[in-house]
Amino acid sequence: MFCHYYAPARDSYAAAPSAYFAGLSSIIRIACQRLVNAMAHNGTPNKEEWLKTINTCSLTDLEGVPVFAALQENVLFLKRLFSDCSDFVIREFKMKNGVPVVAVFVDGLIDTRAVNQALEALMILESGDDDVEVIEEALLPVSQISKAKDYKEFLQAVLSGDTGIMVDGNTQALTLGMRGPEKRSVDEPEGEAVVRGPREGFIENIRTNTSLLRRKLKTPRLKMKSLVIGRETNTNLVLAYLEGIADRELVEEVTRRISVIESDGILESGYIEELIQDNIYSPFPQVQYTERPDRVAGALLEGRVAILVDGTPMVLIVPTTFWIMLQANEDYYERFQMATLIRWLRYLFLLISLLTPAAYVAITTFHQQMLPTTLLLSIAAARESIPFPAIVEALIMEISFEALREAGVRLPKTVGQAVSILGALVVGQAAVEAGIVSAPMVIVVSITGIASFTVPHFNASIALRMLRFPLMIAASILGIYGILVGILLIMGHLANLRSLGVPYLSPIAPMSVGDLKDVLIRAPWSYMNKRPSFLGVQDARRLRAGHTSQQQRDAGSSGTVRQGGSGTGDGGRTRGEG
Amino acid sequence: MRRWMKGCVAALCGLLMAGCWDRVEVNDLAIVIAFSIDKEANGEYRLSVQVPLVSNLGGPTGGGGGTSGDKTYYVDSATGKTLREANSVLQARMSRQLFYAHHRVIVIGEELARDGLSKVLDIVARFPENRLTAYLVLAKGKGITMLQAQPSFERFSGEAMRELIKKETIPVTVKDMAQMLSTPGVDAYLPYVMSVHSHPKGKSKEIQILGVAQFRGDKMVGVFNEEAAGGLRWFRRQFTPFATKVALTDRENVNVQFDKGKAEIKPVIKQGRIQFLINVYASATVIENLTNADLGRAANLTALERKLSMHITETVKKTLAQMRRQRTDTIGLGLVLARKYPREWRSQLRDDWNERLAQVEFHVQTKAEITNIGQTTENITKEDHDE
Repeated sequence: MFCHYYAPARDSYAAAPSAYFAGLSSIIRIACQRLVNAMAHNGTPNKEEWLKTINTCSLTDLEGVPVFAALQENVLFLKRLFSDCSDFVIREFKMKNGVPVVAVFVDGLIDTRAVNQALEALMILESGDDDVEVIEEALLPVSQISKAKDYKEFLQAVLSGDTGIMVDGNTQALTLGMRGPEKRSVDEPEGEAVVRGPREGFIENIRTNTSLLRRKLKTPRLKMKSLVIGRETNTNLVLAYLEGIADRELVEEVTRRISVIESDGILESGYIEELIQDNIYSPFPQVQYTERPDRVAGALLEGRVAILVDGTPMVLIVPTTFWIMLQANEDYYERFQMATLIRWLRYLFLLISLLTPAAYVAITTFHQQMLPTTLLLSIAAARESIPFPAIVEALIMEISFEALREAGVRLPKTVGQAVSILGALVVGQAAVEAGIVSAPMVIVVSITGIASFTVPHFNASIALRMLRFPLMIAASILGIYGILVGILLIMGHLANLRSLGVPYLSPIAPMSVGDLKDVLIRAPWSYMNKRPSFLGVQDARRLRAGHTSQQQRDAGSSGTVRQGGSGTGDGGRTRGEG
Repeated sequence: MRRWMKGCVAALCGLLMAGCWDRVEVNDLAIVIAFSIDKEANGEYRLSVQVPLVSNLGGPTGGGGGTSGDKTYYVDSATGKTLREANSVLQARMSRQLFYAHHRVIVIGEELARDGLSKVLDIVARFPENRLTAYLVLAKGKGITMLQAQPSFERFSGEAMRELIKKETIPVTVKDMAQMLSTPGVDAYLPYVMSVHSHPKGKSKEIQILGVAQFRGDKMVGVFNEEAAGGLRWFRRQFTPFATKVALTDRENVNVQFDKGKAEIKPVIKQGRIQFLINVYASATVIENLTNADLGRAANLTALERKLSMHITETVKKTLAQMRRQRTDTIGLGLVLARKYPREWRSQLRDDWNERLAQVEFHVQTKAEITNIGQTTENITKEDHDE
């Protein structure tokens, strides 16, 4: 909350003449009383001292410090605040009528040409006025313009890329929204590729992201609450939800949880995720993230809330459930039979990725009678020359597989390929031929690896991969009984878990029958006419009741336009019924 | 948080102290594929086990298993007053734990069978590693010779026996045997096998099915040869297809395969005399025709069907005759009788049912049908008759 001391900074300003600071009007001192108090708490009662160290203040400390009427004081204040900031430009000039003005901006964040045009209007074209209201209304040809009363507000805008204009004799400053085009283009997200569906993904710029979202949901109901979090990063956050659809309490709760965050910096939405989740010790993600606008729009339509964070393409969505972690957005674009089958495949491979190594260890070391004889003989033959017990073998293979994957993620693409070939050869073939691991173990690990990639959400698959290890150890100690105990513990934990108050296993537990059409199966769109009720949505109806028209019910036979006069009449009646 | 930690530590201690208490790695097991039980001259039991040598089964090379030679299994045996005692002797010279949960076949030596096998079957049910679904077979001579046979197709004779029994004869599991032995009105039977050399004589020794052994109580009293065993098949709940030769004329033979078949037994008690009316239904496919008869003609087919019926009747009668001779009730006539005449069964018949079998009368009737004469009507090398 108060200024930090940095030894070099203090030394450099100790040399400055104190009379220089005395020139600042008393207003500053009164306005910064909070700072003074803070310093007093810190055991440094010297009033001169804080002025020397004003450039160690965060923006939050400047809340309530007004824009001074005397321009010279503002300039002094800003110069002190941004001493040694080579990218911070304070441009002093006079309007046509001679009133001194100062434009402040951060080099590189602004659109220079647009700013030049705006300044041209003030300096050359227009006659000038000494009231910012008049300047805003009549003189500045800028589309986005707003007034700031205090320094926090003003500097937040300037540091985000706006251009600040201060006019002598005004206690309000103008911020001109002419931000530079320094941003990545909208690309297809690599982490969430689809076969069918839109190819655009969020980028690091939050304005672009909100525009992508607005393009999907052209409705005044789409609300985008703006928040700023982080003492030093001043990260812009946008809370997006559909008014009247999202549960109002949910929106309030999310807002509350975010606004109580007092952190020095938010560099990625992951910070927010960890700071607002219900259970920080759980391996399961309680906040969903995505970089696809269509996915966010879909979530908002279900009555959930999205949190967009500036500087990252990853948008958070709350609340989330276990089942959502197994749904891909493509499920909703493809035909429902295929989507349902693929969903079942994911459930199957979820179990496989969690249980296969543990089951292999348990069965081959405790329950050999469970295997078919020939399979047991094959495994026994393969294991004959292996020096390690099955659990050690499993751990070696699983850990080296995780290492291979991690290495592959971090390496540049060209090197990554070499590593994967090396890994496949060394870990796969050579290890088996050298008699260090058995071939069935390699198969088990590969199946597990493939299975863990079928989970569409990366963080959910990480959770499963982590839980595999305790299960393997439990299996090596207690056999299948150990696996069961482990599963029971996991299930108990899942049943206990909540995401923003919504039970993590809903709609299965607690059961809400009407929502099951989007869990075990993906029902055809014509049957998904209500929003999920477990999210507490206000306006549940999605689709006009009885949408399924006569054509669909009759498998198209009655809807075909017949030849002759009766055909049109029939078709009309059918449409009417639909 | 503190309590949570305490709980964790307690759970961890529990797990660590429990250790991996009955963990056995696969390569510390001697997996018993089949075992045999014989009776020795001195009254002791001989337990023989067939254990695969997994290192010779084609795992990865290198590392080095200790066994030599290219045999994929070995057979060892020991004697004892009980089977467990024999097992202990065996285990005492085996570096790996004998593991019985995978045996598929239990071979009973003929001598033991003639002496009664109820006692030795106790271990089969009492010891949890043993399975009631394992097949029981009876070996001609010593049971251990069956384990030593080396069939060409399978890696172990145990495996070969199992496949053979399932397909080629009437399979009997330990559970079936126990039921047959414990149910009054039914006598037990077991597949009867021996090991033979293939022809021309090669390295391998194959398992041959000889027929079905006939039991009275738990003692073996005779053998149904292949033909008589064929007669037994009609009375099984699930018919397994088999082929037989039928003489159409004195010289000419047709081979047929029975696809479906069942027998109905109707018991009648008339003036104290017990009669069984047996109706056999069969449907068959012609698989070889060495006669000149054109089976496409209805008359020939009817003749064949008549011959077939007679043939079946004959085999069934042979089976019944042998049952009567040995006074065994292999097809469960007593059970049928008990259901129809429960009062008589309980009051008079049950106690000396086996003795009464000698006086029982049978009337066998067969209805055989040829449903399929194969792909051709006549031998394809014959020239076409002019129409």
